[in-house]
Amino acid sequence: MSLVNAELFKVRTTSLWWIMGIILLPLYAASLLVNWANSSAGAPPPDAGVSDTQSQAIEAALEPINVATNLYTSGQFFGILIVLLLSAIIVTSEFFHLTATTTFLTTPRRESVILAKFGAAIVIGLAVWLITTVLNLIFVPPIMSNLDLGSQLGEPAVWRAIGLNALAFVLWGVLGVGAGVLIRSQIAATLILAITYVIGSAAVTLIFFLLSEYVAEWISNLQVLVPTSASQLMISGTDLPGSPPRWVGAVVLVGYAIVTGFLGTWLTKRRDIS
Amino acid sequence: MSAPGTDEIVVDHLTKQYKKLRAVDDLSFRVRSGRVTGFLGPNGAGKTTTLRMLLGLVTPTAGTATFGNQKYVDLPDPVREVGAVLEASSAHRGRTGRNHLRMICRAAGLPDTRADETLEMVGLTPAANRKFKGYSLGMKQRLGIAAAMLGDPKVLILDEPANGLDPEGIRWMRDLLKALAGQGRTVLVSSHLLGEMQLLADDVVIVAAGKLIRQGPVAEVLGDMSGGVQVRVRTPQVPELTAALSELDATVTPSEDGSLVVHGVEAAAIGHAAFTARVELHELATERGDLEQVFLQLTAGKAGIR
Repeated sequence: MSLVNAELFKVRTTSLWWIMGIILLPLYAASLLVNWANSSAGAPPPDAGVSDTQSQAIEAALEPINVATNLYTSGQFFGILIVLLLSAIIVTSEFFHLTATTTFLTTPRRESVILAKFGAAIVIGLAVWLITTVLNLIFVPPIMSNLDLGSQLGEPAVWRAIGLNALAFVLWGVLGVGAGVLIRSQIAATLILAITYVIGSAAVTLIFFLLSEYVAEWISNLQVLVPTSASQLMISGTDLPGSPPRWVGAVVLVGYAIVTGFLGTWLTKRRDIS
Repeated sequence: MSAPGTDEIVVDHLTKQYKKLRAVDDLSFRVRSGRVTGFLGPNGAGKTTTLRMLLGLVTPTAGTATFGNQKYVDLPDPVREVGAVLEASSAHRGRTGRNHLRMICRAAGLPDTRADETLEMVGLTPAANRKFKGYSLGMKQRLGIAAAMLGDPKVLILDEPANGLDPEGIRWMRDLLKALAGQGRTVLVSSHLLGEMQLLADDVVIVAAGKLIRQGPVAEVLGDMSGGVQVRVRTPQVPELTAALSELDATVTPSEDGSLVVHGVEAAAIGHAAFTARVELHELATERGDLEQVFLQLTAGKAGIR
């Protein structure tokens, strides 16, 4: 526990955390506005040329409960990006600033250090989740009443989505630490993670759309294997038509977290620190 | 021989093979407590690699480097057993000196007050809240020593600690390390600054090209290698003195500046011989060999870039 404390102390005593905070707040505001706009757009007309499954999906997404889960988890996309980068930097900065020597001299059992970093990443993930969730609980009810849908806070599905959202933040934090161990260069790690996360998820959606259109429909079910799709799926309010069940998303993310976690620990134990 | 305590450093047939380079080659030596041991060798001799293997940062290809018979990773409380200063620039640029030390305290389970105590000890209190990037090289070295002393360890290991220190700083460190050894601690200092080592070290371990060249008390290593002491004599009557000294079985070598270098007899005997031979002396001085000459002799041809 004192090691997790030490790791959090490291984050607190540099300017990194408030820089990330300053980046996060406008991005959060933007995602909340976009979610609001999407929810008030309404269903497409019946002759808009969308397939049955797609229109079912859109209709389902416009049910009050799904609008609510979507809005109450606003900020997930960018919040997780920040958590992912912070968690990776917890590891890469040790090499970037040559502090790895001090760290491993203080705690020669390297698996303890990596475990502590996972712990710190989980705390950071929960902190960012808490911030976005508190903001959502403040700003979303007025938006919901503006949409004439009521706050929906009595619905268990909303709270379940908020809870699963926390799980997503935690799992991405763990993924970030694993990625930081695998890509030790700070600049490479932040660039690769940010680019794959932001552009990659859009590109993957497009690739899977094309594959399922022109090759075989079932391929679209594999999209859940992409971490960003998996966390999206996990927090959706009800099971949407045409998507795998929610728990699949959770299982996929947990799987990635475990694999990067073990691989990261194993690599760190083997490496020479010089 | 009784089993060594954890305050004795035991390096036993230690080898590190990188792809093409054998950085450390079957190296064995021991470092005793209560003394300052200088770990000497030309650049690239494998000093840093040896220290990093001793501290569990680099895995040896073969052999062991232990404290007593325990590896660094197996020490129950490493920060209270061993303190190490490996590189001066190993702190986050944006973190203050005090927070750097507190970070270690938290990870090691030491009270935060130790940070302020060691800052005081190394004279960094005025710069405690300054960020690391604003530190001079000398201040970084002092912060490294403060970090090593947090757990009040029995063993202190320093890699080139004099780098970047000004003369006053070097003197400060020499006094500190001697005092720490005087308290019974084990102090191992790697360096290539030989003049400094001659003033500081009680024992030396000399390596070159990853191999042990010589180990022992400084005086012994110097004595063996320079053929004992020599005496420098200056006189206007060179032939008379040479004749007088040849009766004493002394070897007399004229040197370039006109003085004579005498081996095999002590200054008092030379003075007496001169007096009885009524030879006038202008200078009579005992010269001990210096570590630099010995070192260059020992490592000749073995240094170089590998």
